[in-house]
Amino acid sequence: MSSSAASENGGPDYVRPNFPVKSSARSHRNQAIMVTLLTCCALVTLGTTIGIIYMLIKESMGFFASEDIDLWTFLTGTTWSVGRTQGKFEYGVWPLLSGTLRITVIAMALALPLGLVTAIYLSEYAPKGVRAILKPTLEILAGIPTVVLGFFAVKFITPNILSHLGDFKTFNAAAAGIAVGILCIPLVASLAEDALRAVPRTLREGAYGLGSTKLETTLKVIVPAALSGIISAFLLAVARAIGETMVVALAAGSSPTFTADPRVPSQTMTGFIVHTFKSESVVPGTPGYYSIYAVAALLFLITFGITLVGQIVRARYREVYN
Amino acid sequence: MSTNFYSSPKNESGRKQKSNLFAVACLLISSLAVVILVTLLATILISGSSWLSWEFLTGVHKEDNPEGSGIGQAVTGSALICLLCAAVAIPIGIGTAIFLEEFQPRNKFLRWLHGLVQLNISNLAGVPSIVYGILGLTTFVYLFNLMPSIQVNKPIPWEIGGIHFYQTKTLGRTFVKFPAGDREETTIKLTQNEMCIDGDGNEFELKLVDKRSDAPKDPELRKGFALRGRSASRLTERSPWYFHLPLGRSLLSAALTLALVILPIVIISSQEAIRAVPRSIREAAFGMGATRWQVVRKTVLPAATPGIMTGAILSMSRAIGEAAPVLAVMGGVLGTTRGIQSLMDQTPVLPVTIYQWAGDENAGFENASSAAIIVLLVVLLIMNSVAILIRNRYEKKLA
Repeated sequence: MSSSAASENGGPDYVRPNFPVKSSARSHRNQAIMVTLLTCCALVTLGTTIGIIYMLIKESMGFFASEDIDLWTFLTGTTWSVGRTQGKFEYGVWPLLSGTLRITVIAMALALPLGLVTAIYLSEYAPKGVRAILKPTLEILAGIPTVVLGFFAVKFITPNILSHLGDFKTFNAAAAGIAVGILCIPLVASLAEDALRAVPRTLREGAYGLGSTKLETTLKVIVPAALSGIISAFLLAVARAIGETMVVALAAGSSPTFTADPRVPSQTMTGFIVHTFKSESVVPGTPGYYSIYAVAALLFLITFGITLVGQIVRARYREVYN
Repeated sequence: MSTNFYSSPKNESGRKQKSNLFAVACLLISSLAVVILVTLLATILISGSSWLSWEFLTGVHKEDNPEGSGIGQAVTGSALICLLCAAVAIPIGIGTAIFLEEFQPRNKFLRWLHGLVQLNISNLAGVPSIVYGILGLTTFVYLFNLMPSIQVNKPIPWEIGGIHFYQTKTLGRTFVKFPAGDREETTIKLTQNEMCIDGDGNEFELKLVDKRSDAPKDPELRKGFALRGRSASRLTERSPWYFHLPLGRSLLSAALTLALVILPIVIISSQEAIRAVPRSIREAAFGMGATRWQVVRKTVLPAATPGIMTGAILSMSRAIGEAAPVLAVMGGVLGTTRGIQSLMDQTPVLPVTIYQWAGDENAGFENASSAAIIVLLVVLLIMNSVAILIRNRYEKKLA
């Protein structure tokens, strides 16, 4: 019943009508109900985060509360044999952590340069025709389920490529790393391309005006200008590779090894979790079961930290042009 | 470095050459993505296409028999889970996007909430899907262990719509069941004759014998006999509305978990669609004296619907390809003998089937796995084409 319905409800001041309008009491009540409902929707995402953190802390504490388990051994130990029916129960996380790192390093060695070059090509060089092929290809590649890439790693990359290069086992870190790299290429390419495109035309034109070639403009002006966006794209890709599950579950094998050799099987943090769920060999309530949460908490901390750093880099070091 | 800008024209041809070389190298490196995609599709088509048949599409998984196995249940399971997941994630996602985009509050607390939700969404998008799987396991399957469900072999604390039976195999190799007296017992040993129901629903008395040789030779008559001391396991016959708490390893749990996985993607894409609606449309509606919610419902949402739909379909295609969260919540189940009776059942889904078959020692399952991949990729291709069609059709109308 007011003359300023819009501004009362948070609308911009300049649309305040200066004539009597007919938004009835009922429509205001409807609005109040809807705002409450919408707020509830928004709270679901907050609830999810709280749920994740609460569950990881609570159940990990269940793991470390056990008498013969301590945090220090978990973080520094180099043997992992949890959930096996026979043998000793050892819970040093380094074999899993090193497996994750090994595969991430291989994947990034592939995805970062390839993704960046693809982004540079798409944003600076690609003629319309090539772009029309390359862009959908990257989109399809990004949409391929990771379990399919895992299958590809086991059935194609290892037997047809790696087996000619050396003594690679059926399941090995290299194949998994390459497949994870493949799934990160579209991510890096599209995010880095966005960053490169955001660099204003005037910078390019200035460089050309000084007599630079296209290569010089790209490498010495545009890439440095877009660096914060590119770095945050890289960090997102690293987080994605660390959290990747199905590829490593299929292609990397299931033996936790503490080594730097990419030819032997290795198990990652995510791989351990999936193998445990697949075999259903671990009884709920036992330390082996709680170890899933301890590993997941570590995984969450690492990926969350990297995502956060990526956001900070993008926000703080962004070069603003106007 | 910057001296290059002012370098003399003498080496100009050299610099130009370098630049052109770089362009060619860029093209070659970029086309690697195309090569990879083609190789991947070719590998899968070669090993899987001959395996595709109607029997494969409708059949069920059979242990040790890849030729006879099919993906019927997996396709049904994937479709059901995807629909349920959409029904949960899309309304919540759109609601959150409207909250974030259209109701910029002046109230200090709500403004703080806005910032927090926005920051939180971009963080949630980076959480590995297996962590969501564990969240689903803890929250939906075990309900934070509030009910004593984590203890193995205990009856479900709270349920409606289910009838309990014990099931056993007769000497005639058919299954019979009889009403379960005690809910605490998950398995019993046969010690006395029981009134049984056969597959057709007929009631008869199951007679116990001590040795196989004591039973009659006729296979028809042997259906009424079982060995004394044989175990019978408990089975719940479920009506379509069967429901229990905690949700257990069920397809409802899996769908809710997947809904959490794709929620950030739905929200972000809906936000973009809403942001793309021109201001002038809103201002015109405000000028008519509409409340903010009326503006959203009558003008912004209809205008943003194509964009929202595109995002929703794309996130659904993400949900259909996810294996890790489903595996965490439902386990690596490959098939059930009873099929899906209610939302509380375990069911295989396509990605988990692909994963299990790809890792099977029996080499025949490798081909079955690539055939299943072809089906999955075709489904994804259709969903993506629909999304692109919608995008292209409505893209230019408002601009």
